[in-house]
Amino acid sequence: MIELYHVWKQYQKPGWALSDVTITVKKGEFCFITGPSGSGKSTLLKTMYREVVPTEGQIIIGGKNILKIPDHKIYLLRRNMGIVYQDFRLLFHRRVFDNVAVALQVIGAPMKDMKRKVFIALRMVNLHHRIWDYPSHLSYGEQQRLAIARAVVNNPRILLADEPTGNLDPKLAVEIIGLFKEINKQGTTVIICTHDKELIRQFGDRILFLHEGKLLRKDAA
Amino acid sequence: MIIYKAKYFLRETANNLWQYKTRHFFSLTIICLSFLIVGLFLAISNNLRDRADDLSKNLVIVFYLQKSLPAAEQDLIEQQVRHSPLVADVRVISPAEASEKLLQDFPGLKDILMNLQTNPFPASIEATLKDPRTPYDQTLRFITEMKKNAGVEDVQFNRDWADKIQSLSRLAQAVGFFLGGILILASFIIISNVIKLNVFARKSEIEILRLVGGTNTFIRIPFLLEGISLGMAGSLLSLFLLLIITKIFPVYLGTSLGALQELISFRYLSFSQVISMVAGGGFVGFLGSLSSLSRFLRI
Repeated sequence: MIELYHVWKQYQKPGWALSDVTITVKKGEFCFITGPSGSGKSTLLKTMYREVVPTEGQIIIGGKNILKIPDHKIYLLRRNMGIVYQDFRLLFHRRVFDNVAVALQVIGAPMKDMKRKVFIALRMVNLHHRIWDYPSHLSYGEQQRLAIARAVVNNPRILLADEPTGNLDPKLAVEIIGLFKEINKQGTTVIICTHDKELIRQFGDRILFLHEGKLLRKDAA
Repeated sequence: MIIYKAKYFLRETANNLWQYKTRHFFSLTIICLSFLIVGLFLAISNNLRDRADDLSKNLVIVFYLQKSLPAAEQDLIEQQVRHSPLVADVRVISPAEASEKLLQDFPGLKDILMNLQTNPFPASIEATLKDPRTPYDQTLRFITEMKKNAGVEDVQFNRDWADKIQSLSRLAQAVGFFLGGILILASFIIISNVIKLNVFARKSEIEILRLVGGTNTFIRIPFLLEGISLGMAGSLLSLFLLLIITKIFPVYLGTSLGALQELISFRYLSFSQVISMVAGGGFVGFLGSLSSLSRFLRI
């Protein structure tokens, strides 16, 4: 369960990127955060993996206040999460396999285990036939699927995606969100930031609407 | 798990070294030259110290006798030397023997000696000391006592030479450490800058590692290993070049130096010096990387 209590964030005065945001996302939920550009969607998501530290408020994930975790222990929080970005953030000088394996290398997984898990993750996103290609040889849609494979290879309990369809055409966007839905069905909590109304209409179980840092709506779709 | 991580670190380090090979090649050259300077002076210093040690082990006092000294008086002086408790062995060298020895050591001087009508060398008595550790003042007292003898014209004690060569050896070492120290400092700065460039070049990769749960140590270790590898490879290369120099120097330059060849030649480093050079290289690399990481890789 993810709980945010009265979270405020100010980058510079005046103005707040987040103002008094209180939300609860239950385990296994599929949830969209939406709102216009600059409404604080990405900031809200970043506070959940402590890339951004709120100015005020508390964030509890899995019963633990993540703001109290010392900096050198943050990696433990992130190992339980998968994060997907609009710009994919891939290692373009490494092969598809290495791009996914990197999430397992940081935990010192044995090579045999690594190969098996990487293959399973790539098969899930239907990229297993491109395992020895370089990301630059993949289409945008495939690159995003690769980023998703990297995010899920560790079987994270939470999957956070920041505008994962921002660079994709509507057909590919539907395909990617479909993938997130599949992952969610296996019990992973999925939170997606997007401003694509069509996707929200099609897939939205729960929508959190942000405007100028304030949470305007947090009900079911 | 440690083995898998160790394998990963080594593979990453090797990949990174290869990926930025041009900049690594230049830094390696500078490191190698820096350590070569230290190595060269150490090799010269080693040689000088060995020479001084050889001289000290075989301490000889040479009493030069007056020319045309009657045989009876010469015998008397010889007996006096022989009876000293400091002396182990005595050898009388006639003027003819002295001339012959000089010709053996310096064959080039043959013509000069031939042109001299008379033998310029006096007879001498060489006294080898029993114990090389005999206190200097005790030996000096013996020499002073002998000098009182009218038949003794001059005395030469090779301990003076041993001391002078020893000082020269220390000087060579100091010059080596000074020059090498400056160059090693330059190596440190170069390694630090190379690692800084590598950190910037791999910024996005570092970002990804952080987000998938990589620890600070996990992200930093390949950079530290890169610095250590550069330092160690540079010093190893310098040791190899030094080995070539020590082998080639006597062949190409040694003969032209004549009598000085013995003094101005290189003796390869001892095992402990080799280990120190390699460890020193690694340490400089480690410090260079560390200083860069602490400034430019704040995770």
